[in-house]
Amino acid sequence: MRERLFGRNGALMAIFTRSMKENQPAAPSTEALADSSIEIPAGDALEAVLLDAGGPVDLSENRVDSPAARSLRESGVELVVPLISRGELIGTLNLGHRRSDQPYSTDDRRLLTDLSSQVAPAIRVAQLVHEQQAAASERERIEQELQVASLIQQTLLPKELPDVPGWEIDAFYRPARAVGGDFYDCLALPDGRLGLVIGDVTDKGVPAALVMATCRSTLRAAVERSDDPGVVLADVNEVLVPEIPARMFVTCLYMILDPDSGKVTFANAGHNLPYVRTSSGVIELRATGMPLGLMPGSDYEVHTAMIEPGDIVLLSSDGIVEAHNPSGEMYGFARMIGRIGAIAPDGDLIDDLVTDLDSYAGFEAEQEDDVTLVSVRRLSSARDAARAFVDEPEVLASFSVPSVLGNEREVMDRMTAGLGKLLPQEQLLRLQTAVVETAMNAIEHGNRGDPELLVDVEVKRYRRRLEVAVTDHGGPRGEIDAETPDIEAKLAGDQSPRGWGLFLIEQMVDEMETTAHGDDFTVTLTMRLKGGA
Amino acid sequence: MKGNEMPDVNLAMRVRDLGDGVRIIDIEGEITAFCEEVIVDAHQRAGDGARVVALNFLDLDYMNSGGIGLLVTTLIRAQRQGHQLVAFGLNDHYREIFSLTRLDEAISIYADEEDFLASL
Repeated sequence: MRERLFGRNGALMAIFTRSMKENQPAAPSTEALADSSIEIPAGDALEAVLLDAGGPVDLSENRVDSPAARSLRESGVELVVPLISRGELIGTLNLGHRRSDQPYSTDDRRLLTDLSSQVAPAIRVAQLVHEQQAAASERERIEQELQVASLIQQTLLPKELPDVPGWEIDAFYRPARAVGGDFYDCLALPDGRLGLVIGDVTDKGVPAALVMATCRSTLRAAVERSDDPGVVLADVNEVLVPEIPARMFVTCLYMILDPDSGKVTFANAGHNLPYVRTSSGVIELRATGMPLGLMPGSDYEVHTAMIEPGDIVLLSSDGIVEAHNPSGEMYGFARMIGRIGAIAPDGDLIDDLVTDLDSYAGFEAEQEDDVTLVSVRRLSSARDAARAFVDEPEVLASFSVPSVLGNEREVMDRMTAGLGKLLPQEQLLRLQTAVVETAMNAIEHGNRGDPELLVDVEVKRYRRRLEVAVTDHGGPRGEIDAETPDIEAKLAGDQSPRGWGLFLIEQMVDEMETTAHGDDFTVTLTMRLKGGA
Repeated sequence: MKGNEMPDVNLAMRVRDLGDGVRIIDIEGEITAFCEEVIVDAHQRAGDGARVVALNFLDLDYMNSGGIGLLVTTLIRAQRQGHQLVAFGLNDHYREIFSLTRLDEAISIYADEEDFLASL
């Protein structure tokens, strides 16, 4: 920062302020000379002289010799007045030779000392404000980048997992705040076979999300061309090597499942090994290979294994094994293998691992890396299959309110109390808005505001979703304004200014379903729990 | 609705005149369909001779679809009276709702009062 002023008696005076960030290099000397703004680097001998001087330092009298002092003398500076705030040299007032050719008088120096003592704190405040503004805009930039990264990632993950008779496929994905590069995918292959992919890009944020997107589409294309997991990974590698930014690579495991025989064929590009819970313990599915994007010409060996009825295969990313507890210990493979081995035949492995991870890392702790888990369970019999698919819900709240407008707030409060901390704040606010609107519709349109008629609310937690059912008993409904609200039509008077309720409900929840039984009319709102499927 | 039961209106609107035709309506409480009177009154006081009226949502506790309907009505009135209606202080949730309903295309949104004043 540099400002030129004309000082008393015609001397050219300039104020220089120092960069306050540590380790910031001084301006290159040529450039500094070109515009005569000279940095005094930390540790330069002139710094100590200025800090001790207690007033202006005359460079023609003082013999200090240092790069900064030399540069100042060369650019014609005669008098240097230190600007000191809280013991720190924050800048200088530099004065050239007096035009009158007279030396600077005692009065001049006193005036300059007074001036510097007033200027220094003002400059320091300006510097602090400037630094804070820079930090705030940097935070905002990072926040926006995170949102973009998480949007890319979540858009590309499978919206739902396939229903394969005799098998139960489940996935969990929870991004870290900084959004790592985890991904998984499920591909329907010819002959009813299923392709399962799990991968991790070594980086975070938007760059990782973009590489993940490239990797995912390249892999989907390669799968069309070959049945061989080794060839598929080798193909993807060849595409990625020239494309991928330096120092980034992708670990990835690709597995083909034949649901009829239970045979899995897989190849691995440096990813964590899959584990299988079998009747005789937990085994590793070994396969090795170079991560994708690292070097051309990498080969990937193909391995096979049989998944027997009752077995569970688990694919995972680093996020779980590399999580730390508050004392800094890693979750580790041993603990994960222990949990896999101990899971009950009809237990939910992913739920068990996530719950265990959260209690290990501490519920309040910020997640270090993305956590991704994919489980593939072979059901052991038709009866088991039937049982496994029953997802028995837990009722979190069940209550009724009279049909009086305003009671929708009570519905919201009681539902929220029943949920506890199940939903993250953002999802909770969305559900609250949807439930309030649904309850208002039930009171106003369903029960037509008849206080004798109740609105029943039931909040149920299923394994991977939350359902809120709102039932009114008013019989066949009057016409609900089903027109999609349009702000322009409303402003032009072509639509009523009202009529936002249904629209909001649909936008706020993952699913909305209506059912009618006799006089009962039920709207069921669904929120998917956690990330992923 | 049967009977004359009206839920309590829990809304206060304060009008600040910043001069030069700039008015701010500080909203405190809940905006539902029952707040029409409060909103109409505040907007009348603020809108008279105004160039721009800013709605300050910083102390908004709650707003439902009925409240959004009232905002649309207010917006229509503002357009008729020929002044601009803007908003600031919305939290992320209501900002999303403004965006979903495309209200943000008709009402300029600023982060906070400082941001709004800087726009003038």
